[in-house]
Amino acid sequence: MITSIFKEHKGFGKQIFLLAKNELIKTYKGAVIGPGWAVVKPAFTVFVYWFAFSVGIKTMKTMHVNLGSHDPFSIDFFTFMFIGIIPWFFIQDSIIQGAKTLRTNRQFITKVKFPVSTILTYTAISRLYVHIMLMVLMYAYVIFAIGPSWYNLQFFFYCPLMFMFFLALSWSTAPMSAFSKDFESLIVSIMSGIFWLSGIMYDSYSFQEPLKFIMLLNPINFFANGYRNCFLYHRPFFYYKTELAVFLAEFIFVFALGIFNYNRLRKKLPDVL
Amino acid sequence: MSEAIITFKNVSKTYILYKNDQARFKALFFKPRNPKTNKALNDVSFEIYRGESVGIVGDNGAGKSTLLKMITGVAFPDEGEIIVNGKVAALLELTAGFSMEMTGRENIYLKGYILGLEDAYIKQIEERIIEFAELGDYIDQPVRTYSSGMKMRLGFAINVNIEPDVLVVDEALSVGDASFKRKCKDKIKEIISAGTTVLYVSHNAESVREICPRSIYLRKGTVIFDGNTDETLKVYQDYKAAQKNKKK
Repeated sequence: MITSIFKEHKGFGKQIFLLAKNELIKTYKGAVIGPGWAVVKPAFTVFVYWFAFSVGIKTMKTMHVNLGSHDPFSIDFFTFMFIGIIPWFFIQDSIIQGAKTLRTNRQFITKVKFPVSTILTYTAISRLYVHIMLMVLMYAYVIFAIGPSWYNLQFFFYCPLMFMFFLALSWSTAPMSAFSKDFESLIVSIMSGIFWLSGIMYDSYSFQEPLKFIMLLNPINFFANGYRNCFLYHRPFFYYKTELAVFLAEFIFVFALGIFNYNRLRKKLPDVL
Repeated sequence: MSEAIITFKNVSKTYILYKNDQARFKALFFKPRNPKTNKALNDVSFEIYRGESVGIVGDNGAGKSTLLKMITGVAFPDEGEIIVNGKVAALLELTAGFSMEMTGRENIYLKGYILGLEDAYIKQIEERIIEFAELGDYIDQPVRTYSSGMKMRLGFAINVNIEPDVLVVDEALSVGDASFKRKCKDKIKEIISAGTTVLYVSHNAESVREICPRSIYLRKGTVIFDGNTDETLKVYQDYKAAQKNKKK
């Protein structure tokens, strides 16, 4: 029972990558700049936020981040926001598309026998491709603006973890959204709120207790801060142990809940889609 | 008799009919209280042996599709157990289940993997499938560019060429123009005479009689009669005649 998701993936690896590639083609075919659109939208979003906060509101030019040591860490707002928002684009797509994905791929559920959980995997991989593309652009900026560091390699810790976390989350949200469109709408409607509740545009460490601790409960902060650990703060992922521990606990919870929900609803999916 | 290839043990399936979307949302978290239900299959048990051809007859809504969906592994029972020993090929919805952006050739592999076939084996049957589907150069084009007839041909070709252990056929199947239809019929006959287990669903008594020595008659989700096709059809037709008389 517990292993059903893993069993469905067994021997299907090559097909998953092929289907992921086709998912990308499906998204971007027929457009002149094709996959360029995957960059245009985030780039414009970054520009708008920078314009609104640094040019419009004016007060947000330099960020002072409290990293627990003597002096606050100071950095210009654009760099701070840019590094945090790149994982956010992936997270946002993962949550919204992840919830919708079974409904949009219903032909694989109601018509043929198909390892249903792999649908979530290949769509997630196609989003990962886009994320890597954005990462390459961001890293070009990082090298130019901050310079490379060994800590950058921690990307290979945070990125797979982020992929797994939101994949496991979709094991819960996708079958539930397939079951009830209201659940899907609920997720879509809270997403822009989630953005402002997460430390993307501001520093989630800068609060007093207990709010500082509450901010740790938001896993999105873990990744926004994590990417900043890699590229901006240059500190190891285990530096802030409470943050890491809270996240890992949540990860185990989401993982277990995902397996539970998937198994609970998998066999009902063909009846409701 | 040889070993059973399909076994249904007290299989029941109930569809829950949600009153509205609100009830559906609620059902995500709580078990619905006295929901309206539709019992599609009710305590169905039978065994089908290797090499048998079995007809399934019954009116619309008798549970035929649900039964077939369970054999093909698309739907699942609420109660009971289903054991299927072998590859199932279904000639039901031939145009479904393709990945539209993939080429015809890639879809052959996708389908093969889903059925648990090895690379080497798929390679072996690939050419046969392409030839049978009469797709020519289109085989390396994305399936979304196919006409519906081409999709059906490909779907049919894949299903009949994987050397299935069980072939599920819906008689109402349409596969395009007359000449291809002819070809399909011949192929099905060839598969049957090769000793493949066949499940044949039809409203047409004659074609069931022609293909299947044994038949199962379903009415409202229950097996009414299971046995010799002539006897089964007699029970079915008697019931139908009785219904007609009642109406009069």
